[in-house]
Amino acid sequence: MVFILGNPFLDTLLVKKALESFYGIGPVVSRNVMARFHIHPTMKVGSLKDQQLLELNAQLSTMNIDNDLRREMRDNIKKLRDIGCYRGKRHAMGLPVRGQNTKNQIKSAQRLNRIERRN
Amino acid sequence: LNIKKKERKDDGGRRPAVGERKAQRTRVVISNTNALNVPDIELMTAEGVVDENNVGKVMALPVTTVDSLRAVGAFKNTQGWKFFRTPSTLIRKETVEMARKLDEAAKGEAIRQVLIGEKKSGKSVLLLQALAHAFMRDWVVINYREARELTMGFTDYAPIPNTDPTRYSQPALTATLLTSIVQANRDILSKLTTALTHNPPVTLPQGTSLLRLAELATNDPDIALPVFHALWSELTYKPPADAPPASQRPPVLLAVDALAHFMRPSAYLSADAQTIHAHDLDLIQHFSSCLSGASALPNGGAVIAAMNNSDVPSAKSLNFALARAEAIQKAKKAEGEAVDVPTWNPYEELDERVFGCFDPAVVEVVRLGGVSKEEARGVMDYWIKSGMCRKEMRSKMVNELWTLSGRGVIGELER
Repeated sequence: MVFILGNPFLDTLLVKKALESFYGIGPVVSRNVMARFHIHPTMKVGSLKDQQLLELNAQLSTMNIDNDLRREMRDNIKKLRDIGCYRGKRHAMGLPVRGQNTKNQIKSAQRLNRIERRN
Repeated sequence: LNIKKKERKDDGGRRPAVGERKAQRTRVVISNTNALNVPDIELMTAEGVVDENNVGKVMALPVTTVDSLRAVGAFKNTQGWKFFRTPSTLIRKETVEMARKLDEAAKGEAIRQVLIGEKKSGKSVLLLQALAHAFMRDWVVINYREARELTMGFTDYAPIPNTDPTRYSQPALTATLLTSIVQANRDILSKLTTALTHNPPVTLPQGTSLLRLAELATNDPDIALPVFHALWSELTYKPPADAPPASQRPPVLLAVDALAHFMRPSAYLSADAQTIHAHDLDLIQHFSSCLSGASALPNGGAVIAAMNNSDVPSAKSLNFALARAEAIQKAKKAEGEAVDVPTWNPYEELDERVFGCFDPAVVEVVRLGGVSKEEARGVMDYWIKSGMCRKEMRSKMVNELWTLSGRGVIGELER
């Protein structure tokens, strides 16, 4: 078991997968971060050297990812609501924000658009 | 519509262990007890290979050479070794030429060759024959097993401190290379002793055997690269004429199959997420500098690279450099005749580092064509005696098949 940013990961998991499990890290960011510490794409979490792990943790803790990024997004939505603009209202009502039709198919909006958005 | 993921039933079987499937996939079988024994087959010897009279004969590789060849990864599982009783190869005109050149190269002047030719024309097998000849002449043989594995970016890498432009080490692959060097050249390396002093982490007293030096890193990838360089500096050390036999140095053969992987950007990424050129990887840089002549082989030897034509990455600069070198060499041979020397498209970027490796005056480009009819007859005779081919051999059949195989392209003939 290896800890990255305080989260436990199995030794057999790819470093790429482990990184992309964080909110805000996708294929491009994970590729860049891994390149920065010379981690090849098929490296497993268990074979990371201590030094690499330390550097990786240090780097990730400076990045705006996971809870920090979620908080930022929530704050942005909250700001829209507070200034009382249309987009803020639509968020609050759980309806599409960008002019989509609402006769059918607004499941995504219903699930995601809210003031305290989770993901 | 049922799109629910089906639950996988556990069949109770054992799951393959790590590396087991790859081992299965890349397993090389080089003998077959069901194949008929060919009683009158001759054993390949260093003297036999340079003899012109043996052209067209199929010769069996000696057992010790087979072990060494296996250790350096010269046999491929795509080749037809598994159909015959013992690994044997056809002595071609090119084989004799190659062996003679190698014998010349042992006297001091190293040769540098690139084997090119169409698909299935026998480039890899000619390379194998060169390796076999070198083993039989007690050379030190270093074969970069799988060129692709060095550049595909699947093993660990790290920048080498204090290098500008940055070069990269590949510890695990270097350790694998050292392991194959140790396994293949055990006898010759154990007879030689170190003559130079090396910097840490290579801490061995002077006079230790080179085998011991190489073995330092076979289980310790962290020091593999310094050990490899130390071994190379020992092998290229030019001893004084009156030095004891243990300080004398044999010629070295450096070889690689599927050269194209070495002559293009690799799959590794630098710290700023840019592609690393294969020549920035230290192992490959080592090979390419030896091939281009930038690094000398003062005790004689050879650097031989074979191209491959299947599953080949695009390497335009390499193809251009080879075509140009071939044309210039052709023009040199055929004095007076006009030969078209290709020119580079100025709207495309030429990879200067690759292009610079192939100076026509230094690197010889050897093109392999089909075998001659006599050679075809010899190899088909061997197939019939091994029970692989159940037809009676008549000269008409040889002629027909020779033509059908594109004027004797050996791999097509084999089909």
